[in-house]
Amino acid sequence: MKDRVSLSVSEFHHLSPAATRWAWRLAAAGAGGLLLSFGASFVARDGFSRFLQAYLVNFCFCLSISLGALFFVVLQHLTRAGWSVAVRRLAEVLAAAIPFWAVLFVPILLLVLVGGGSLYPWNDAAHVEHDPLLQAKTPYLNAPFFAVRAVLYFAVWALVARFYWRHSVAQDETGDKSHSVRMQQWAGVSIIGFAVTVTFAAFDWLMSLDPHWFSTIYGVYFFGGCVVGAFAALAVIAVVLQKAGYLQDSITADHYHDLGKFLFGFVFFWGYIAFSQYMLIWYANLPEETGWYLARQSNGWTVVSLLLLFGHFLVPFCGLMSRRAKRNKAVLAAWGGWLLVMHWIDLYWLATPTPANGPSFGIIDVLCLVGMLSLYAAVLLRIAADRGLLPQRDPWLAESLAFRNA
Amino acid sequence: MGQHVNSQTEAESKLVGLLAEFSTPEAVVSAAEQVREEGYRRIDAFTPFPVHGLDEVLAIRPTILPWLALGAGLTGVVAALAGQWWTNTIDYPFVVSGKPLFSLPANIPVTFEVIILFSAFTAFFGMLVLNGLPRLSQPIFRSERFRRATSDRFFLLVEASDARFAVEKTRSFLQTVGAVNVEELHDDAAPAQLPKWIGWTLVTLAIVALIPPLWIARARVVTSDQPRWHTFIDMDYQPKFKPQTASALFADGRADRLPVPGTVARGQLRDDERLYRGIDPDAEPPPPEPKKPDPKTPEAGKPAPQPASPEPAVAWVKDFPIAITDEAMKRGRQRYNIYCAPCHGLAGEGDGLVAKRAQELQQGTWVPPTSLHSEAVRQQPVGQLFHAITNGVRKMPAYGPQISAPDRWAIVLYVRALQRTQNAKPEDVPPETLKAMEP
Repeated sequence: MKDRVSLSVSEFHHLSPAATRWAWRLAAAGAGGLLLSFGASFVARDGFSRFLQAYLVNFCFCLSISLGALFFVVLQHLTRAGWSVAVRRLAEVLAAAIPFWAVLFVPILLLVLVGGGSLYPWNDAAHVEHDPLLQAKTPYLNAPFFAVRAVLYFAVWALVARFYWRHSVAQDETGDKSHSVRMQQWAGVSIIGFAVTVTFAAFDWLMSLDPHWFSTIYGVYFFGGCVVGAFAALAVIAVVLQKAGYLQDSITADHYHDLGKFLFGFVFFWGYIAFSQYMLIWYANLPEETGWYLARQSNGWTVVSLLLLFGHFLVPFCGLMSRRAKRNKAVLAAWGGWLLVMHWIDLYWLATPTPANGPSFGIIDVLCLVGMLSLYAAVLLRIAADRGLLPQRDPWLAESLAFRNA
Repeated sequence: MGQHVNSQTEAESKLVGLLAEFSTPEAVVSAAEQVREEGYRRIDAFTPFPVHGLDEVLAIRPTILPWLALGAGLTGVVAALAGQWWTNTIDYPFVVSGKPLFSLPANIPVTFEVIILFSAFTAFFGMLVLNGLPRLSQPIFRSERFRRATSDRFFLLVEASDARFAVEKTRSFLQTVGAVNVEELHDDAAPAQLPKWIGWTLVTLAIVALIPPLWIARARVVTSDQPRWHTFIDMDYQPKFKPQTASALFADGRADRLPVPGTVARGQLRDDERLYRGIDPDAEPPPPEPKKPDPKTPEAGKPAPQPASPEPAVAWVKDFPIAITDEAMKRGRQRYNIYCAPCHGLAGEGDGLVAKRAQELQQGTWVPPTSLHSEAVRQQPVGQLFHAITNGVRKMPAYGPQISAPDRWAIVLYVRALQRTQNAKPEDVPPETLKAMEP
């Protein structure tokens, strides 16, 4: 019985140059996919609004994984967790992609500033003119304030993500423990800033798609999805990296076990929040609130809603309950992949339904999804390329490598 | 002397096993491995902190507690759903804001709480039971050296009940696998008992706890001249408005609010004039009839009732706005026998039990109920009969608030049938029956 308290020298902690060369190919494929999707929008009927919706859904999907990863990183420092050091760098890489998402948000921002309401009805002056409710909401829902808020959200996230990234990689060089102390000191403030900005970002970017409707728990619901997405992505990425020969000895069944526990917990958290929102609206039965669910229970959306109930909550809840499922790489990665798909459907379900349309998934959506994911992968590879995949001189690394679930 | 007594008790008390002491975690793990290999099965280890690998070496089976907790959780699901289903649909069916009596979303919070309750209790008490707790007397704690098991020593216990156990052989074997000390463990000759005062305190508390429910039970059956004692005064005097009361909150001084102009309460839209008022809105009202003496003479000895204040001519409905079915007729008879027959009589002669009793009492103010077979009543259109039931006539009170509109129409239908029985012509009788009646 050997306690693994030091890094094995034979292990690969750095991406090979071949892997980083892929970054450029993926970037090209991603940009191509997005451009093709945009091009297809000119051909298809109703193409432009469908492209915008697909862009928003896929943008939110990718961003939400980075946000969930940022939450994970900050949480580890807030709680001074030792076990997670072996997988923390992967989350740091995901979070460090946030400035890139700020760039991809620029098209949405410009669209809103131009006006016309092709994405957000409150942004259409002609529509608001005949809508007293929207007129009353104008002090909050107006283009300039929307832009200011979006800049603020990205500023907070990028600041926090870069702060934790900078200190973590700097520690790789120096091994200075003061980096850990600094990261812990700022964790409390960071997580409060994260909570506020994520809540309002969800209100602004997704909830205001249906500007008459409102739900105060919406931000928490979005946050729950973010964290589920991040843990699912972490599990999948860790397994893929180990398959490719990286971090063979660092990440053990015990780390997967804890990632699985988090995933299990947040699957339930998501279900709990989703039901809390649903039950109050169902019980009160007020027309101003039920309309949102009505749109999600008609025109074929019922199937998607039930798919979420079972696929995003009940089935993975049962599947992840067992200790064996969480400790088995293949099983955990399969649930991770499944929940990533469900998280995407969740965002699609939040953004797309209107009383008039049914669920549809066409070439525009496929190209947009593939493009966005390829760009995401390219960015992650670029960020990770010249840095290790492990915080090699973190003072808790030894504890993490020796970590065992009792 | 003391030594003698001690050894005698030890000889009498049962041997539990041999306790081997080790100074490092590695030593206890390797010793446990060898003890297992030697064939011992009933062994246990005690360490100051979790030693990784020890569980595997001791081949400790995973606990069944998670399964028990899962079973309790599932029991909670069934119990909570069944309980809510029974109370909401069988025991006390009560419609809340138009929702089904049993609807899942409303029942999930309670179900969730019951799952937590059942599985948490099962986990907690199951842990105690599976560990054999509470245990007041544990021989291992009689060992002085064992106290170091919580700081810096590691212990391995080989139980005497093991098939391969033999005191001397096992002792020397434990010494060969690296034990720094091996001692015999004996059962406590006088096992610790629960102190008596704890039992008495519990009994006393149980009796004291019975006082409040007994006091409440007594208060429910005896009367008192003292003002009522309010346990929860906010529940007895709730800060809410009751119907038809005054309130200083609103400008008009009433607690009741009028409906918002232009709105109608659910189920109160009575815009079908024919069904709800018995009036045909499309027909022209007939010309007012010239006043003439009532052709019908009332009962002898009574003054003729004053003709009602001249009502404006109304276009009464002449045919039924409900479907004329056997079902409606039966419903009408049943309602008639409940609401009308006490005064008007089962056959509509105006000879109900109330009317008979009133006449016996000879009270001057009694106006006898009209016979439904009088010409005046027979000539009335159905709409007018309906109107009479709804709003009352002269001394007869209004029955509109008590009987639903379709039921009132069913009564009118039955009254029409009654009238026909009393004024039947031969053509009304089916031919076969008529033939049978012929002499």
